[in-house]
Amino acid sequence: MNKTLNQKAWYFVIPVFALVAFNAVVPLMTVVNYSFQETFGSNVFQWEGTRWFKEILHSERFHASLGRQFIFTFIILLIQLPLGIAIALTMPKKGWGVPICLILMSMPLLIPWNVVGAMWNIFALPDIGFLGNSLNSLGFDYNFTQQSGDAWFTTILMDVWHWTSLVVLLSYAGLNSIQPAYYQAAEIDGASRWDIFRYIELPKMKKVLTLAILLRFMDSFMIYTEPFVLTGGGPGNATNFLSLDLVKMALGQFDLGPAAAMSLIYFLIVLLMCWVFYSLMMKDEGRT
Amino acid sequence: MIFTNLYASSWSTVGKPKEKGLFDFDFITWMAWTWPTASFFIFIALCITVMYFWEKKVPGGNPRKGILTLNTTRGDRLFVSLLSAAFIHLAWLGLTDFNLWFATFISSMFAIFVFKYV
Repeated sequence: MNKTLNQKAWYFVIPVFALVAFNAVVPLMTVVNYSFQETFGSNVFQWEGTRWFKEILHSERFHASLGRQFIFTFIILLIQLPLGIAIALTMPKKGWGVPICLILMSMPLLIPWNVVGAMWNIFALPDIGFLGNSLNSLGFDYNFTQQSGDAWFTTILMDVWHWTSLVVLLSYAGLNSIQPAYYQAAEIDGASRWDIFRYIELPKMKKVLTLAILLRFMDSFMIYTEPFVLTGGGPGNATNFLSLDLVKMALGQFDLGPAAAMSLIYFLIVLLMCWVFYSLMMKDEGRT
Repeated sequence: MIFTNLYASSWSTVGKPKEKGLFDFDFITWMAWTWPTASFFIFIALCITVMYFWEKKVPGGNPRKGILTLNTTRGDRLFVSLLSAAFIHLAWLGLTDFNLWFATFISSMFAIFVFKYV
C-alpha cells in the first residue's frame, strides 16, 4: 500500500514556533552576539572576537564553579537515585496507604523553589533553626553560614528533601506497570527478593530511571534559586555553583560579554548531556 | 523614528556619533548584530534549508545504525556535526593559540565523517 505523504498538520505548529522564536531563539541569538562584543551600556558595542571565550576557558574561577557544579550533581544523583528506588519499593501497591504516600511524596515538589530555600535557611540557622540548634546541642559544631562543609551538607540535604520524590514517583510508576505474571513466574522459580529486583524490577524500570537521571541531572546542573536563597554561594565561594556564578558575572559585575560566553559554554554542556541521555533512552527503540 | 544617533564609547570617540552599520535599527540595536554572528546564523538557516530539500529529494531521512550503535537519521547527523563543531572550536580556543580556521576545517572534516559513518 502506498502511504500518501501529508505533512500539512505541521502548519499547526507555527504559533508555538513563533512563541518559542520570541522567547527563546531571539534571546539566544542575542547572547551569541553579546559573547563576541564588549558593551558599556546604551546599546554601544565593540567587537572583541573570541577574547571572552578564551578568557572564560582559561579562567580559574570558571573551572572552580564548573567543578563544584559537577561534584554537586554527581553527589545528588548518587544519593537520590538509590534512595528514590528504595522508597518506591517500600511504598504500598494497593489500599488506603497509596494516596497518602503519593500525596506525601508530591508535597515537596509543589513548594516554590525560593520558599524551599527560605524554609531550609531558617530550619538550618545554627542559633534558632530546628536543625541547626539540634545539631549544635548534640555537640556538633554546625554553622552553614561559616563552614563550607556544613554549607554543602545543608544544600545537598535540601536538594535531597526537595527532589527525591520525583525519583520515587517515577520509579513507583515504573514498578506498577510490571505485570503480576512476572512475579508469579519468579515465585515458581524460587527467586530471592534480590533476584526479583535485579532481573525483573530493575530492567523494567530502566526507561523511567533514565528519564529520572536526565531530569535530576538537568535540574541539579542548573540549580539556582535554592542555593541562592540558602547560602548565596557562600561561605566565600564554597557553594558558588555555575548558575550563581553566571548571574554574579552578568548582573553583579555587568560583564555582559564574558557572561554571554560563559552561558554559551554552559548551554553547550547541557545540550551535550541532553543528547547523550536522549540517545541512551532511544537506543533500544526502533529509531531515534 | 527608526534611526537615532549612536555614540561610540571608546576613549577616542566619546560623544561622537557612530557611523551607522547595516543592522542599526532602533528596535533591534539591543540585539547587537554583527556580520560574523549574522553569517553564523545564516549558515545554520542554510543548513536547515538544505536538509529540507534533501528530504524532498530522498524522503525518509536515511535511517541507519552507525558506528556509535545509535539509530540515526540525517537530522541527528546534522545535530551531532554542529554540536561537535562547537566543542572542537572551544577546545581549539582553550588548548591552542593557532588560528581558529583550523578548527573550522577539522569540524567540517569531522562533519563529513559523521554524515558517512555515524
